[in-house]
Amino acid sequence: MNTRSISFRLLVWCAGLSSGIFVLSGILFYFSLQHFLKNDLLGSQERRARQIADTLLAHMNQTGSSYVAGEIERFYAPEINDRFIRITRADGTVVYLSGAPNDQSFDPKEVPAMPRTEKDELSQTFQSPGKKTLVIAGLHFQANDGGDYLVEVGTLLDPVETMLNHLVLQLVFGLPIVVVITTAGGYLLVRRALAPVERITRAAERITQHNLSERLPVSETGDELERLSVSLNRMIARLDDAFQNSKRFVADASHELRTPLTILRGELENLVEDSRLDAEVRERAASMFEEAVRLSRIVEQLFTLSRLDAGEAQAEWSRFDLAAMAKNTAEQMGLLAEDKKISIACDARQPVVVEGDPARLKQVVVNLLDNAIKYTPQNGQIQLRVQAVNGHAVLEVEDNGAGIPAEALPHVFDRFYRVDQIRSGEVEGAGLGLSIARAICSAHGAEIEAASSMSKGSCFRVKLPLSKN
Amino acid sequence: MRILIVEDEKKVADIVARGLKAERYAVDVAHDGLGAWELASAYDYDLAILDLMLPGMSGTELLEKIRRKNQQVPILVLTARDGMADKVKNFEAGADDYLTKPFAFAELLVRVKALLRRGPVNRSSVLRIGDLEIDRLSQSVKRAGKKIELTAKEYSLLEYLATHPGRVFSRTMIIEHVWDQSFQGLTNIVDVYVRHLRAKVDDAFPVKLLRTVRGVGYSLSDEVAP
Repeated sequence: MNTRSISFRLLVWCAGLSSGIFVLSGILFYFSLQHFLKNDLLGSQERRARQIADTLLAHMNQTGSSYVAGEIERFYAPEINDRFIRITRADGTVVYLSGAPNDQSFDPKEVPAMPRTEKDELSQTFQSPGKKTLVIAGLHFQANDGGDYLVEVGTLLDPVETMLNHLVLQLVFGLPIVVVITTAGGYLLVRRALAPVERITRAAERITQHNLSERLPVSETGDELERLSVSLNRMIARLDDAFQNSKRFVADASHELRTPLTILRGELENLVEDSRLDAEVRERAASMFEEAVRLSRIVEQLFTLSRLDAGEAQAEWSRFDLAAMAKNTAEQMGLLAEDKKISIACDARQPVVVEGDPARLKQVVVNLLDNAIKYTPQNGQIQLRVQAVNGHAVLEVEDNGAGIPAEALPHVFDRFYRVDQIRSGEVEGAGLGLSIARAICSAHGAEIEAASSMSKGSCFRVKLPLSKN
Repeated sequence: MRILIVEDEKKVADIVARGLKAERYAVDVAHDGLGAWELASAYDYDLAILDLMLPGMSGTELLEKIRRKNQQVPILVLTARDGMADKVKNFEAGADDYLTKPFAFAELLVRVKALLRRGPVNRSSVLRIGDLEIDRLSQSVKRAGKKIELTAKEYSLLEYLATHPGRVFSRTMIIEHVWDQSFQGLTNIVDVYVRHLRAKVDDAFPVKLLRTVRGVGYSLSDEVAP
């Protein structure tokens, strides 16, 4: 997975944000609920305290404390309900104290007395040794007989805590669910939003210099992506224009140069063969004629390139044996290699049938062999291999010459490119041979590549589809 | 022999006319399609050399008209185009041969002579240049009665030069005949083969038959060089 892709980063953000918000709102909810429940509990204790005060303590002098205790036991049953009830006089004497609850979770006797203050309503919490918390509300009450009482009513916080623990548990289980849901939702959303980007990328990937007339798909959604593809299309159109112009220029130029070159060559040829002229003049004319011939060769090659660029007609395509053709070509060029004491080892025993223009593909072999012979020193070796590999015909020309520097390797198929400016003086040719080979290969849907290691030699490999039948 | 040259580039027409006149042909030149048609309808030419890009009337149109008037006249087309489609179209219209600009005059001359079926089309089975003997049937070569061993390519090169003794062959022509189109641009291959051929045919003899014409190409001749 590409961790730097927009969709991945968006999803991480989405998951992080949603879980952050979830945790934060969970905490907030927890505390406010805790606060509310505690207050609510305290409130109900207060109400109970006031009830006790109003109904029982108001007439304390007439009823007596045992009656009050009886009534409290009857109505509130503190032991059964886990309640704590204590009534004390101002002087600290206890009028009534509830007994320990049935489960002995706290001992009422241990609950410290509330300090007397000016306020009428008090509250405290008490932690029992058994880790139980009591919430206690206190109420100062002035009875009719002038007696001053403190009524304390408390209860266990247990149910609230249980509820809150439940809540925490639910939140903890809820978090991954929320993250999964938001991430999945986010993923679907992001994928939908980025689908056009994927389409644009794939379409843009397909567009090369040979199909610049193609355009990217434009989905009419009115969004940023539509704008992006429209402006990319405009850019491709401008590139297309520039490319067409430069192609047309090469085609036109190589065409227009022909007539002046014909005249130049004709006149010079005349001078060279004119026996009335001085020998030195003829010698100079001959030198000029040689250059004119070289110039016309370059023009010829440029014209060939521009025709291949323009997609030369496939009228001359046929099925033929590439291995036999390569072997034959190597033989025809044998003396050229022999002249430099270079041996050409040919490994092309099995027929390898391909489809294409035999003359053009032969030109590829000629150019590759010529190149190898040029750049291999005396007594060198060239290997020519043709074989069928995985449904493809693979032709290799390998030499043990000086090799091509790594920085030059990507440019060897460029027009007019020379690997080594110093060496170029010894070797004739304009640096178009490999460009032509590549143009022919791409017209045949073939790949051509060069590999080389310095001082060990170079290898040029052509890979083209085998003939179907 | 009378030849019609139709070429709108005056200088090109000039060079061709001058060269052909030097070879003792009678030459008429037209610079546009209409002028050419006037000449072609007035005279019976032995050969027409046509440029295809013409003002007034397209070269192909002119070609068809000339062909309709005279079935026999050989027509050599000069063209700056060398796309396959053009070649096919011209042959359909009745051209006998074509030459792409820029061309060597030597090459034009060889083609003209071949079209006129005159001079150097030597069909005998044994070619002789001085004391050099080439037997086309057994493909064997002798000089001064001694057999010379040649490779297949060396033999075809020698035989090709021997078909037109004294005529200069450009490297382009040699490549096209002895090798093929695919070797175009590889002119040093001719030099290497001629050097090897020379070592076998000339080195041991006082009279050198294989001549280099600087810049132009090679010829085979026993005439004393000027």
